[in-house]
Amino acid sequence: MSDVRNNRREAGGSSVITANRLLDGRIVWQVGEAAWSTLIDDARIIPNTQIEAAIAQATARQQEDGLVGVYGVQIESDDATPTPVTVRERIRAFGPTVHPDFTPAAELEAHA
Amino acid sequence: MPDTLPAPALPIGHYGYDQVDRAFLADRVEQFRDQVARRIAGTLSEDEFKPLRLMNGLYLQLHAYMLRIAVPYGVLDSRQLRELAHIARTYDRDYGHFTTRQNLQFNWIRLEDTPDILARLADVDMHAIQTSGNCIRNVTCDQFAGAAQDELVDPRVHAEILRQWSTLHPEFTFLPRKFKIAISGSPNDRVAARFHDIGLVAKPAPDGGTQFDVFVGGGMGRTPIVGVHLRDDLPEEDLLAYLEAMVRVYNEYGRRDNIYKARIKILVQALGTEGYRQKVDAEFAAMNRARYRLPPETVAAIRARFGTPDLHAPDDAAAQLDRARRADPVFDRWVRTNTHPHRAPGYISAVISLKPAGGIPGDATSAQMDLVADLADRHAFGEIRVTHMQNLVLGHVRQDELHVVWQALRGAGLASANIGLIGDIIACPGLDYCALANARSIPIAQKLGARFASPELQETIGPIEIKISGCINACGHHHAGHIGILGVDKKGEEYFQLTLGGSPGSDASVGQILGPALPEDATVDAIARLVDAYLVHRAGGERFLDTYRRLGAALFKDAVYATA
Repeated sequence: MSDVRNNRREAGGSSVITANRLLDGRIVWQVGEAAWSTLIDDARIIPNTQIEAAIAQATARQQEDGLVGVYGVQIESDDATPTPVTVRERIRAFGPTVHPDFTPAAELEAHA
Repeated sequence: MPDTLPAPALPIGHYGYDQVDRAFLADRVEQFRDQVARRIAGTLSEDEFKPLRLMNGLYLQLHAYMLRIAVPYGVLDSRQLRELAHIARTYDRDYGHFTTRQNLQFNWIRLEDTPDILARLADVDMHAIQTSGNCIRNVTCDQFAGAAQDELVDPRVHAEILRQWSTLHPEFTFLPRKFKIAISGSPNDRVAARFHDIGLVAKPAPDGGTQFDVFVGGGMGRTPIVGVHLRDDLPEEDLLAYLEAMVRVYNEYGRRDNIYKARIKILVQALGTEGYRQKVDAEFAAMNRARYRLPPETVAAIRARFGTPDLHAPDDAAAQLDRARRADPVFDRWVRTNTHPHRAPGYISAVISLKPAGGIPGDATSAQMDLVADLADRHAFGEIRVTHMQNLVLGHVRQDELHVVWQALRGAGLASANIGLIGDIIACPGLDYCALANARSIPIAQKLGARFASPELQETIGPIEIKISGCINACGHHHAGHIGILGVDKKGEEYFQLTLGGSPGSDASVGQILGPALPEDATVDAIARLVDAYLVHRAGGERFLDTYRRLGAALFKDAVYATA
């Protein structure tokens, strides 16, 4: 869900785009146009100089793509895989810390 | 008031729905089913749909939709608890979370399943209406209502009357902000009446009827305030008229320009107690009193829809319990900490702790819910209560059957002997689930629970209330904690601010900030040092709160920040 705390972006940094799925509310990360994954590892990394335009595009398609609350999440600059800079977004990306078995990766594995 | 014996089929402890209630709920479910279909089809935008789903208790939280289900005045019957277990097992992740409003939340609900879930709830006379939004929320009540030895009036009938009055009340559907009412019938406040928008304490009137103490303008959140005592003699027949006047004044004068100043507590502070009272009295005087009068016949009719337990224990029930306690010291400790005196000879109320050491406060698996429902059927007239401390209660247990109940609870991980002790922590869902939170509450509760896991240590420390909120909205009641913990966000990282000296009870007080917020990895150690300081300085058997009030904050500040 969009939140003022997610508008903190450094000019030189990068971000990924996230949303919740309309039908089940689950968190997804934009992989490409109209393509979304529950794994942040799959997310497309976008320079912050281009992120607002990319968010606007994704927001315009959100009903068509079955999404709500599209927004951008700044990530750490030195990590090989996308890691959000805030605790909040890390919890969104990797699941509640109090249920290690509820990570998006574990869920995918369980349904594989 | 006549003593009307209810029909046997009526649920014990709460109002039994009739066909009008059921038809209404069925219509409401179909209405929501249509709204969900329109949202999925795109004919309703999210902005249009959001207020509709919130009116049905459906939030979009951090990871998924969360459905908050109302448990009116905290009383469930076994059939209802089993249905909640079924929903947890079928539509969620096999557990539910009991909240400080005596409700139940499911954290992993799918939007498309919600109409079917609401239909299942309606089948057992439950719903999620008014568990969100700027309306009068679920009325909370003493968890020992109708059972407690110290109770003067059973408040559940009046809680039900308030529920019926406030449900879909056309004038109070769009208040400036949410509105919370608590009611008790005991002079020992177990409902935090002074921290509610309206707190009511029922008591006998001089004429033999019922009257109410009325508190108003209490609350937590960004501006914690202990409510003011508005009157001590509200007659039962004027209960609805006077509350109608109180909420009308709030609806008219409450601020709608600033969400942080919109609760009634801000209005009462702005007008002053006398100013607010005058406006309420003027409204009350202008009302059609006959229309709003609550006559004894109506109260009796509502009471007649409650099932009442047939309390007959063997003469030696207490002696049998004594023998079991002497034979089993672990059971004896649990009885000391987890039971409450009952008004009827041979009976006792048992508190089921949902706070296992290292566990998540308020969570119960579907298997645990089923087990509690079975125990309620066998030993407590099929009735279960949810407490605002996030535990469960079997209100009427025969003392000679308590050992059997405890053994069954123990086998299911539900026999932690920690009620009112340091392990009995209130924690909101926090940043692990909540979209509003700044910090995680549950891991701090888990670490504290594990740190103080020893039942012997907990009894040595004695009564102490730790309450944790993941943001300033204070769903974890941190302002009313003897030790309050507030999660704050500092540049995207979690810090925790400690407050000391809060109390939710008859001696209500707001906790005071001890000093700068602590990093997450320093918070539990700091609290351990704080507790050590208390153990060194307490006099006799005084509680932590008493020591704090006697000695002040300085020594605790030294203990927390000396090595932080």
